[in-house]
Amino acid sequence: MTRLVRAEWLKLRTTAVPWVLLGVATLLTGLSVVFAFLNPLRTAGAAVGPTWITPTSVAELRNLVGAGAGADVVAVLLGALTISTEFRHKTVTAAFLVTPERGRFIVAKLVASVLASIALGVTMLVGTMAAGSIVIAARHGSVAALWHQIPAVAPGMLLVFALFGVLGVGLGSLLTNQVVVLIVILGWFLLVETLVGALVDIWVTGFKRWLPGNAAQAAVGYTARGQSHTLATSLLPWWGGALAVLAYGLAFAAMGWAVMRRRDIT
Amino acid sequence: MDSAIEVRNLTKHFGRVVAVDNLSFDVAAGRITGFLGPNGAGKTTTLRMLLGLVNATSGTATFGGVPYRRLAHPPLQVGAVLEATSFHPSRRAIHHLRSIALAAGIPSERAEQTLTLVGLADVARRRVGGFSLGMRQRLELATALLGDPQVLILDEPANGLDPQGIQWLRMFLRHQASTGRAVLVSSHLLAEMEETVDDVVIVSHGRLVLQTTLTELVRRAGTNGGMRVGTPEPDRLIQVLAAQHVGARHVDPGTVVVDGATPEWIGPLLAHHQIVVYELTRQGSGLEDVFLSMTAGFGTAPPGGPGGSTPAPDISGGESR
Repeated sequence: MTRLVRAEWLKLRTTAVPWVLLGVATLLTGLSVVFAFLNPLRTAGAAVGPTWITPTSVAELRNLVGAGAGADVVAVLLGALTISTEFRHKTVTAAFLVTPERGRFIVAKLVASVLASIALGVTMLVGTMAAGSIVIAARHGSVAALWHQIPAVAPGMLLVFALFGVLGVGLGSLLTNQVVVLIVILGWFLLVETLVGALVDIWVTGFKRWLPGNAAQAAVGYTARGQSHTLATSLLPWWGGALAVLAYGLAFAAMGWAVMRRRDIT
Repeated sequence: MDSAIEVRNLTKHFGRVVAVDNLSFDVAAGRITGFLGPNGAGKTTTLRMLLGLVNATSGTATFGGVPYRRLAHPPLQVGAVLEATSFHPSRRAIHHLRSIALAAGIPSERAEQTLTLVGLADVARRRVGGFSLGMRQRLELATALLGDPQVLILDEPANGLDPQGIQWLRMFLRHQASTGRAVLVSSHLLAEMEETVDDVVIVSHGRLVLQTTLTELVRRAGTNGGMRVGTPEPDRLIQVLAAQHVGARHVDPGTVVVDGATPEWIGPLLAHHQIVVYELTRQGSGLEDVFLSMTAGFGTAPPGGPGGSTPAPDISGGESR
């Protein structure tokens, strides 16, 4: 299995896919960093727009440290693409010739994607800390206070990146078509989860906290993006959220395996 | 002799379509076996079932008694060249080979070695997206050879190769067989394989037509396909031949094909009757005709075939998938 994972890692880094995704993730994280330096509340009375702030409160500092969490959906894309590109370019033929047991193929993808997703999360964290430190220092804020929040934020954030890697491979093994899986992932996390969650929540209170995006938000485990206290309490506990995302990922992977093992590669 | 590959009663249904129908044949070690049949005869499906990529509806395909999916180290035992499209275009050739070597537990130096073997060492670091069809075929071949397997399976490997490439492939396969490897190579053109193969397995409509040696097939094809005569007086030639009780066909306005004739026989006859001749050539090899008649004539109305489907035009004219 180690060999297969190393081969998957080599396959991943020898295409343009991870570099494109790194670019997308950097853009998303960059926007989150900008938001962390903005006071979202308009100054009362006047027509003054949002003002720039220097994060000082725990919530503001944690928001900045966790800016990379804004790019966590990229980990889902990464996991899904590791499988869909194989089908798109028919390299899956060569992969199945080497690994005729298709379950092992999916497991190797899971492990490689978790590692790649954590690497992506670490990269986002490092980038955020570098940019955040420079700006805070320039604004005469406390860089030490920012760094002090790393232990509180980083574990949850990296955990979600890892879990999203699993979720991505699960979805990719079930929906092997590249276009379909990209549309489903982006559509779900950008729009559908919010709509479905809000709608069903009307009848089944607390339903939406079980959905992947909300569960992931719980797993992050800190008050990111200025979450209000009420929002935080409407989520699952961090471990519950983590288990829920993991369950989604593994359930999709199991379904994907059940379909894939019978599939004819023509 | 022990068979390197044994196919027994292999059958594949795609919905209501019978792609492969109760097919059985053997491939011997140290020989090149041509797997021949028109496009859509079920060759690719059969090879993919052999390799565990397509699930058989029934029947077995084994390598020394073991199905592909249960082989201990598949890439070290069986090498396959399937189609020239299965590369990620942005990946470099050497990385493609290294990733497979890594997964298969093959030392990564083998990647360079096999690239040199197929003549691609100069483009090892180029992205596969820029490769020509012939280069992709060679890269497929390098992939198949990574594990130095005792069995080689090639699906239409001559596609996309130029005449020199085909010549090179022929020598290459001959060398592989001479070292004791079993080689199974599919083609829809017997002519392409005539100089390459030792044994032939001919299929049509997913069913076995004939398994035999090339020598035996040539014997069956008879002495020759007759002589082709270009003449301004075809009607007079046919009259002369009729008097000799020799069959002849008027194929073009100025061309007659004389059945079973040899140059030594027809030359003096033409001279004796003072018939003007513009062209005098042997008609085909005979072998291709036998192949065509076998594959076209066999089971013209396959049971369970797709009634309304319109298959791609092919050389036999009688195709079903």
